[in-house]
This record gives sequence, structure tokens and C-alpha cells, in this order.
Amino acid sequence: MTDVAIRRLSKSFGANRVLKALDLTVPSRQFVTLLGPSGCGKTTLLRLIAGLEQPSEGEIRFGERRVDGLPPGERNIAMVFQSYALYPTMDVARNIGYGLEVRGTPKAERRERVGAVARVLEILHLLARKPRQLSGGQRQRVALGRAMVRKPDIFLMDEPLSNLDAKLRAAMRGELRRFHLDLGTTTIYVTHDQLEAMTMSDLVVVMNEGVVLQIGTPEEVYARPANLFVAGFIGTPPMNLVPARNEGGRVTVEGHPLPVAAPAGAPAELILGIRPQDVSMAAPGEPGTIPGKVWMVELIGSERLIEVEIAPKLRVTAQVRASHRAALDDAVAVRLDPAQIHLFDPASGRALARDAGRETGAPPA
Amino acid sequence: MRFRLSDRQVGVLFMLPLLLAVALFLVWPIVEAVRLSFVRYNPLRPDDQPFVGLDNYLFVLEDPLFWESFRQALVWTGVSTVAQAAIGVGLALLLHQPLRGINAFRGLLLFPYIVPTVVIALNWRWLFNAEIGIVNHLLLSAGIISERVAWLSTPDMAMASAILLNVWKYTPFVVIVVLARLQTIPTELYDAARVDGAGALRRFRDITLPQLAEVLAVVVVFRTIWTFNKFEEIYLLTRGGPGTSTYNLALYAFDQAMANLRMGVGAASGVIMLALLLAGSLLYIRLTGFGREDRAA
Repeated sequence: MTDVAIRRLSKSFGANRVLKALDLTVPSRQFVTLLGPSGCGKTTLLRLIAGLEQPSEGEIRFGERRVDGLPPGERNIAMVFQSYALYPTMDVARNIGYGLEVRGTPKAERRERVGAVARVLEILHLLARKPRQLSGGQRQRVALGRAMVRKPDIFLMDEPLSNLDAKLRAAMRGELRRFHLDLGTTTIYVTHDQLEAMTMSDLVVVMNEGVVLQIGTPEEVYARPANLFVAGFIGTPPMNLVPARNEGGRVTVEGHPLPVAAPAGAPAELILGIRPQDVSMAAPGEPGTIPGKVWMVELIGSERLIEVEIAPKLRVTAQVRASHRAALDDAVAVRLDPAQIHLFDPASGRALARDAGRETGAPPA
Repeated sequence: MRFRLSDRQVGVLFMLPLLLAVALFLVWPIVEAVRLSFVRYNPLRPDDQPFVGLDNYLFVLEDPLFWESFRQALVWTGVSTVAQAAIGVGLALLLHQPLRGINAFRGLLLFPYIVPTVVIALNWRWLFNAEIGIVNHLLLSAGIISERVAWLSTPDMAMASAILLNVWKYTPFVVIVVLARLQTIPTELYDAARVDGAGALRRFRDITLPQLAEVLAVVVVFRTIWTFNKFEEIYLLTRGGPGTSTYNLALYAFDQAMANLRMGVGAASGVIMLALLLAGSLLYIRLTGFGREDRAA
């Protein structure tokens, strides 16, 4: 089986450095998601792994084999594109079998393997059609079939679900995960949708501006973000990030002391992060709470988001049960669950280890 | 009571100017040509137009010059169109490369297409002049030829020169159309083919060419019609000569009508050309399967 090792990989387009000396190891048989905002370099990284782009520096290995410099066709990879990239003039069967055809696989064997893949994907009845006669979901399956039929060492997927409607996307997420578990092929999946990353991956690689900011399981990047970017990027609604102070080992927000100790050696200025579901509403004046005014209330189905302004232009969002009512401009207070508070160094953006039991566990960014 | 028009009547009003223009400049000349082809019409005697039945057609079909012109028209049209299509696709592929400054070349390429034919033909006559032309001078100085080539005054070379001019002038048309189509082919298709292991030739054969097929069918039909009917380039460059070696059907029809004052015969050869082109285009479109894909979808 094939793991993917990327060492000091850089890529520039003109003066624009898209990837900056990136290191990454994708373990064999794992489903790894490259997650980040548009322009973070995740698609470029995928195209470098595919061989569709040449790196400016660094190396890529599949197992022991060094592959940068090899054309895509010699890397034994398969790729699923965002637009599916089905060959419009070929029927579905030829689309799926094209890679085999190019490699000179005999016609009988080709038909057999295409048929086997089509059966798994339940597109057997579509083999004679042209891509334009297929629905979005069917095209998606054909693209998957084209990837699966060659039994590649590595699957590369570039936002393959983004052209589907929400319902189909949810269904395909489950199917993709299922196929991965059945085939056990190393998969690298690019997305900007954290829901996809969280639900499908064994490992999530969070990228921004051409560097890897954190590698971890979905649980790890969610529960223990290694830095401010990951903290703000992962989670919906996003984590509250508010300035805080370390006053003699005690954390305060806007002068209100919280029941949280600053770690040894923490700087005087801090950023405090807490997810909205770890914020609860309290009566003003209760100890350990931060007073404020209700600024905005939003119902999101079974729950309600209450934005509380604790200082001018500084707001904390609480996610509470929908039955909790609040009126605009009510005087209220928010209570932050001390166990769920994250502290960051504003200078470096890195998470501060709160105590031995709450190691961030992530490599330095 | 106010005067009101239905939507339908307003629509007809909007179409009226075009319908008038089409009737005046398209339908009437064709009808008139067909009518003329059945009468004897000497322009010096416009009052005397006796109906002669198929005499004009028989005259044309029995005239050896017609058949010579027809053969030459096939050579002229066939070689020109194939050369334009091949060179045009090649140039379009080159100009499709994302290179620095490529836009300047794309613009320059239009030049032959926009220069008036008269200017080009006169320039070419000068360039290809056997005695003082720069083409012979350059080829002689470079040692490629050892004696002056009579570009326009031997039958084969005259035809070759005329075809060369036509190819030079109209290849840009092919390039523009093909380039426009190339730019609409998604680059992800080429990425997918590379991942599938297809080399450059294979990608051209399996992705580029099938996608160009429809547009090439249109280009070839257009170029065939326009080249087959072409008059001014040959007339200006060689006047059909030397002898009648570069006559095509357009020149033949012109000669019969204007020089020999046989308007009826000229019209008859025009109608024959129309029938030939119509049949040829239909056959070609049927053979290339143009539009079949869309109907199937």
C-alpha cells in the first residue's frame, strides 16, 4: 500500500508563492482531507501530487518511489474533478474505460472491468449514454467509476461534491466514505466545506496561505485547534474569539475575572476562544460571568443564537435552546464553560497549553 | 377609436425591413437568374427575350470550356479548402498556447482577412512577377531556384499561385472559428486525459478533434461554397489565364454573360453552380453527422 510523503514542497506561479516549503505525510489507506479557504493552495497541492503541475522545489514520494518529474499517467493515480471532466464525445462505457484503453488493455477485459465498476456504482443501465444525457449525480458516479476502474494506488478528489445539490451531496458523502472503506485506497480529498471534511475524513489537513496549519483527526482539529486560524475556520457557527488579559495568572475579559488560570509563561495579552455552544446565558451580576446587552437573536431550528455585546463592538455568541427567549437590549450576562476555553498567543496565533490534561497535541504550524 | 395592433402584427412590422431586403437582394436575384437561364438575352437587345427552353443548359453542358472550368474549379476549391482547414487548425492550436504576447499574433493573423482583395491581388502580381518580383529575387539569392519561375504565366504555376493567395487570405477565417471553439474546451478534460495516461497526440485525437468536428464541418462547407463561387481573386490575379488554365465556373459565367453577351448562358451556369453547391453541402453535412448529437440528446 502507498503512503504519500511530501517534503519541502514549494510552488510559485510567477511571483506568487502558492505553496511554501510544505511537509505532509498521508498514511496509507487513509482518507485525508485538505481543508482551507479559496486560494490556500489545496488544489495546487493536489495537482502537484497528480503531476498536473511541476513543483518549484521539494519532492513527492509514493511509498519508496519518487514521483515528482513523472507524468500523471505514470503515477498510477486517479483523479475526480470538480466539473467531473467527462469526455463529452464518448459514451459512459468508453469514459470509464478510457484509461484502460490508453494503456492497451484488451477489449474483452476492458468491458468486463467497466461492467464490474458500473455494477458497484449502479450505472450499468447508463453505459451507452453520452455525458450530456446524465444528471449531476449520475455524472458524479461516472467520474468515480473512471477513477475506480484502473485500481489506482491513490485517489485524488478535487471538490467532487460541490456541483451537486445539498440533498444529493449529503447522500454522496456517505457513499464516498463507504467506497473508501470497501476499497481501502489512499484518498486525498480537497474541499473548502468543513462538513465534508469532518464527516468523511480519517485525517484533516487544515491549510491557509500555502502552509499546513494543523493535521489531526476531525475530533482533534475541532476540539483542540492548534492556532487562531484553525479555531476560527472549523466549526459552525464559528468560535468566539475575544481579547483577554492575563492578570497575575488569572484570565480576565474586559476586566471581568473568569474562573480560568492562565498557563505559566503566558503573555499579558491573550485571545480567548470559546464555541457558542459552550456559552450559556446567566443573570447579570452572577460571579464568574460577563455582563452585556442582547444585540441580536437568531433562531436556527432547534436552537437559538444570542449575540451579547459585552463591550462596544465586542460581541459573544451563545448557542442556547430555542425555548430560551431573549429580547433585544435586555441586560444579560454570559457564562463561559471554563473547561472549554481555548487561549491563544495573539503574537504567534498559537494555542497555549492550558494544563497537562489539555495538550494541543498538534505540531507547530 | 384608437388604432391598435396585436403582438403578432407588431412582430410582422419589425420583421418587415429584413423581409423586404431579403426579397429584394436574395430572392429576386435568384428567381431572376433562374428565369434568365430559360431565355436568350443579349444585353444590347433588352427588348428581345425569347423563351428558349433548355437551350442555354445544353449550350453550357456541350461547351468544353465549361467542363474545363468545372475541373479547375474542383481543384481550386478542393486544394484551397483542405489547405485552409489543415493550416487553420494547426495555427489555431499554436495560437491557443498560453504564451506571452500571443495576443499580438492573434491580432496580426487577421490582417490578410481584412485587406481588400484588389489590394492583395495587385500586390501578389507584383510580388510574383517573373522579372521584377521579390519572390523570384529572394529564391534566386537563397539558391533555392536556379532560374526565374514564371509564377503567373504557366498554367500549373498560375493555378498554384491563385490557390496560394486564397489560402493566405482565408486561413485566418478558419483560425478564428477554430480558436474560438478551442477556447471553450474545458482544460479539465485535458487534465483528466493526462491522468488517464494519454499523450499529446492521443489527447488531440480523442478530445480536441472530436470537439472540433462540428465547427470544422461548418467551416469546410462555408469555405467550399465561398471558394467555389470565388471570382475576384482569380480575375484580378490571372484573369483566368494563361489561356483558360485558371478559369473556374464563376469566371466562366462572367465571361459568357459579360464578354460574349450571352446573359442566358451565364445565368444557366450560375444555376448549375447553385445546384452543385446545394447537393454537395447536403451530402457533406449528412456524411459528417452535423447536428446529429443534439437531436439525440
